[in-house]
Amino acid sequence: MPQPTHELFLAAITEERERRRSRRALIQGGAKLAAGATLATTMAMTPALGRLRAAAQEFEGDIDVLNYALTLEHLEYAFYRDGLDTFGSDSFDEGVYDTLTGIRDHEGAHVETLTQVVSDLGGTPVEEAEYDFGYGDDPDAFLEIAAVLENTGVSAYDGAGSSLSDPALITAAGTIVAVEARHASYLNLITGAVPFPDAFETPLSRAEVLDAAGGFIVS
Amino acid sequence: MRSAAQTTFANDLEVFNYALTLEHLEYAFYRDGLDRFGEGDFADAGFDAEVYEYFGLIRDHEQAHVETIAETISGAGGTPVEEAEYDFGYDDVAGFVGVAQALENTGVAAYTGAAGFIDDGGLLTAALTIHGVEARHAAYLNFLVGDEPIPAAFETTLTPDEVLAIAGPFIVSAGGEDSDDTSGTTTMPSTGSGAGVGGELQGRW
Repeated sequence: MPQPTHELFLAAITEERERRRSRRALIQGGAKLAAGATLATTMAMTPALGRLRAAAQEFEGDIDVLNYALTLEHLEYAFYRDGLDTFGSDSFDEGVYDTLTGIRDHEGAHVETLTQVVSDLGGTPVEEAEYDFGYGDDPDAFLEIAAVLENTGVSAYDGAGSSLSDPALITAAGTIVAVEARHASYLNLITGAVPFPDAFETPLSRAEVLDAAGGFIVS
Repeated sequence: MRSAAQTTFANDLEVFNYALTLEHLEYAFYRDGLDRFGEGDFADAGFDAEVYEYFGLIRDHEQAHVETIAETISGAGGTPVEEAEYDFGYDDVAGFVGVAQALENTGVAAYTGAAGFIDDGGLLTAALTIHGVEARHAAYLNFLVGDEPIPAAFETTLTPDEVLAIAGPFIVSAGGEDSDDTSGTTTMPSTGSGAGVGGELQGRW
């Protein structure tokens, strides 16, 4: 069933853009990040712990967590696959297209691996959905959405990681989330945002991620 | 490899002290390097003002990681490892940037290899929020020197021994030697028979 328009994700993009712009202004203004106690208390482990524990209850087990990750990887892979069918190398600055194809291939590998792991564990892997990312014929909009997807993806993995019980799966998820963070860094950089806007990533709950990414899912 | 590493960490605090060892090293690296090289030195080496600004930001991140991890260890009743003495061996900005790239990529692999050994969910989440930032640093530094920012679909994992082989030579002497509490001076967990980092490092020198 179609989501009520793209309002959700447009709002998410606007918010992300504003956030990145304000970070940039902060840094360019010469303000230093307040290290130490202030940051320590904003870190995940203290005030957000209750929220994260609540988030952990959003999952029914490791297979559920992996299918959640697979849902996001399907979305990301389809985004790059279709976008790079739409845009050619002349749509982007030199070198960008090649890196984007590398990112696409990474997402494809994540989809394949997660699908295999869910199957091996006796689960039913979620399948690719239909998406509408709304970038039209604008390669800059495509890159902006890519940055939002990657940054959201990192937050999604960080929010869900502690819901995994098998340490080997935690390690496997770690090998993926770091790559998503590298993608996010690169896409921030080429869209004029700070590649590493904070000293700590922001974990997001499943509900928060669905708020941000769900608007892209048509069916 | 996994079982060897599993014997390496007795508990979550050991994992966090391992992380703190690396964060101390990274923070000292950027702090001292950026004391030594200014914006003009970066410009002379072909790096614009934004690069210098981003290095300052990375330094601030590493400092925040050090302080937060140390507080976490203390808060959990452990003894945080202290900063050691380091020699990174660079002579100019290009060399400094090259070491930065190596440190950050090693750091990501170290966190990736260690995360699965954290039992507490809250601590795991906290470690992941740092892990991602190290990966962002690594991608940027790769890009800066003309390497692939994202070289593979899956991040490499390194065991503490493997990390020690890479980062250990930068450590001249362990921190906290003036303290009589030796539990706080272990800079790297060891898979050996309880030998501390000193013996481990001397064995490698």
